[in-house]
Amino acid sequence: MAHKNYQYCVAECWGKGFITLSDSTKFRISGFPGNVWQVPAHNSDANLWIMKVAGSFKTVQEAQAIVTAEVEAAQAAWDALPEDQKNRPGNSRPTDIVLPE
Amino acid sequence: MSTYYQIFGGKINVISSDPTDPIEGQVFYNTTSEVLKYRAATTAGAWAAGGNLATARFGLGGAGTQTLALGFGGAPPAAGLTATEEYDGTSWTSGGSLGTARYFLTGAGTQTAGLAFGGFSAPSGRVANTEEYDGTSWTSGGSLGTARSELGGAGTQTSAAAFGGFSTGSSNSTEEYDGTSWTAGGSLATARHQLAGAGTQTSALAFGGAPPKNATEEYDGTSWTAGGNLGTGRFGLAGSGAQTAALAFGGTLDPPITTATEAYNGTSWTTETSMTTARRNLGSAGTQPSALAFGGTPTTAATEEFTGAGAGVTKTVTGS
Repeated sequence: MAHKNYQYCVAECWGKGFITLSDSTKFRISGFPGNVWQVPAHNSDANLWIMKVAGSFKTVQEAQAIVTAEVEAAQAAWDALPEDQKNRPGNSRPTDIVLPE
Repeated sequence: MSTYYQIFGGKINVISSDPTDPIEGQVFYNTTSEVLKYRAATTAGAWAAGGNLATARFGLGGAGTQTLALGFGGAPPAAGLTATEEYDGTSWTSGGSLGTARYFLTGAGTQTAGLAFGGFSAPSGRVANTEEYDGTSWTSGGSLGTARSELGGAGTQTSAAAFGGFSTGSSNSTEEYDGTSWTAGGSLATARHQLAGAGTQTSALAFGGAPPKNATEEYDGTSWTAGGNLGTGRFGLAGSGAQTAALAFGGTLDPPITTATEAYNGTSWTTETSMTTARRNLGSAGTQPSALAFGGTPTTAATEEFTGAGAGVTKTVTGS
């Protein structure tokens, strides 16, 4: 079985306290579209954090599907824009995101 | 075997809740959570979640400090927003609305003496409007000489600098505000837009942008000179702090959008702990060791707070 570096969950960021300074000093938390959060696998502090935020565990495939759906929706919205709006400053087409194992 | 008392000459505090202001090295047992804790200093910078903006947006302006910040304008919609929000270190609350809806504007000053200038609004295009905030409402100030969006800014409400941006193309012009009107300053060596700024009117810093993505320039109130290059070249980034102690975070490498954070010491940039969520065209406030990031693309209401190394943090004793 392949070794996993990361685990994923879905949780809604409620704001202050969702990720504390103490959390961030213990392990790396990365956020993705669709309220998908990536933390290290096999890490007790990360497991406690997922419990704290009432996160719903996802496999990397499930998490990827959520992120891809969000990105594709944003890409479709961008594609539907009139050309003049596409050319507005900073309005570049959203890019694909690939989650690592 | 020696006891804690024999070594340190005092007993461990047994309390039902964590102390509100523990000192570094303090050890205590929390009877509610039934864990032993201690106060330590962080050895590296870290980002933590702050309160969410009431209105998710990108291309907004920012001013103030990490615990007294101001966020204003932004998009969507393409016509721009007038909404202003004030941060108290925990949550955002509504402030007075901008007179001119816009996004890709820039801010300077404080929460109770803020400045908003430039920006973009569809379908009218780039604007030269300046507005001044007094903690309650915005009033019109002198207009920029050149209407532009995606510009850099630095300084205070009565002593600000606007530099770079996009007018008919990428701009290298600098303008200085005295609380009443804008006058021309020294030109950036490299024209650019979607750059970030930090510092004051007479000691400003411009970094990143499109193009060039990694160049840094330092302003002395008269002219710009080259500084150290960003390690991660990018545009749509945000900045905070001073010319000799600045922080750069977020942005896009075109693509991807990045979480990269770097600290400037007046000479060179070094890598800092990355943001939690990648975003570009975000708002910012604060200093190098206490920065605030809010909003951005993908359109979000999320706020993140950066705390530099050396800050106090309460840790739990774990393991056997």
